[in-house]
Amino acid sequence: MAAFLRSKCSSVGRTLMGSLGNNLYGGVNSSVESVTRPSHCDAITQQIRTFIQMRTNLKVVDNSGAKRVMCIQSLRGKKGARLGDMIIGSVKEAQPRGKVKKGEVVYGVVVRAAMKKGRNDGSEIQFDDNAIVLVNNKGELIGTRVFGPVPHELRKKKHLKILALAEHIV
Amino acid sequence: MRLEKCWFCSSTVYPGHGIQFVRNDAKVFRFCRSKCHKNFKMKRNPRKVKWTKAYRRLRGKDMTQDSTFEFERKRNRPERYDRNVTEQTLKAIPLITKIRHERQKTHISDRQKQGKSKQREKDAKEVEQDFHMLPKMLQETKVKVRVTQQQTEDNVMEE
Repeated sequence: MAAFLRSKCSSVGRTLMGSLGNNLYGGVNSSVESVTRPSHCDAITQQIRTFIQMRTNLKVVDNSGAKRVMCIQSLRGKKGARLGDMIIGSVKEAQPRGKVKKGEVVYGVVVRAAMKKGRNDGSEIQFDDNAIVLVNNKGELIGTRVFGPVPHELRKKKHLKILALAEHIV
Repeated sequence: MRLEKCWFCSSTVYPGHGIQFVRNDAKVFRFCRSKCHKNFKMKRNPRKVKWTKAYRRLRGKDMTQDSTFEFERKRNRPERYDRNVTEQTLKAIPLITKIRHERQKTHISDRQKQGKSKQREKDAKEVEQDFHMLPKMLQETKVKVRVTQQQTEDNVMEE
């Protein structure tokens, strides 16, 4: 069935099909799939980046106190969250004196995603890692600083505070 | 809209093509196609990969300095729209491209000339050495050519 879908929709963006195909094959729980190519890459596997789903570990890039958050629910999309979406996560690792403690359930906005995001001009952008910024359920920031580059997709999603605090907007 | 350069092969990335990769130090790498992107992921150095512009310019295979490159320099300040200026620019662009291509071609052919002359010398030497291996007809013509060459040389020396 997946093969049929692939042949039918060859004109549709390959990345979309690729991630769809992965999800059909690999089950919901795998967020990154390794496809080993022979000879050319030696030990390096080509990773096909997918959505941010349940169990995805994300880096926290603000000064709210948390360091690592595990996604427990994506608030947008059946397959998972992408760049600019909001997720619910459980804090797995936190700094000793911070606003957020380990084990807390928090909301977060995805500011960097390893999965390609298409832009209106036709280009695609991808980041090095998956990173979030913690917010409360109304969408207001918990921390007061944001580290690292941030895409301007957040402007459309109305996360203007994050853009204001960002070091570098891409 | 802006035409970018691919980080790996230095070709132009037109709108709707390619992927931008943003590293955590906020450096943006643009790639024109997945070939360049995959080479980057393999951590290959473009200066060592033979088909990239970086390699070719480094080894002097392609023209590096020329006044035609100045026209393509990146300008960050937007220019106020002026109809005449736009018209002149649009007329000039194909001319400049043509001139640049011509100059690049001459650069490459100049570079290859040395090789060509060396090749001719080598071929002449081989004909001299292995003269007996040539088919009979060719031997006769070669002898004729040799004789006429000798005559012209003698004439020159006499003069």
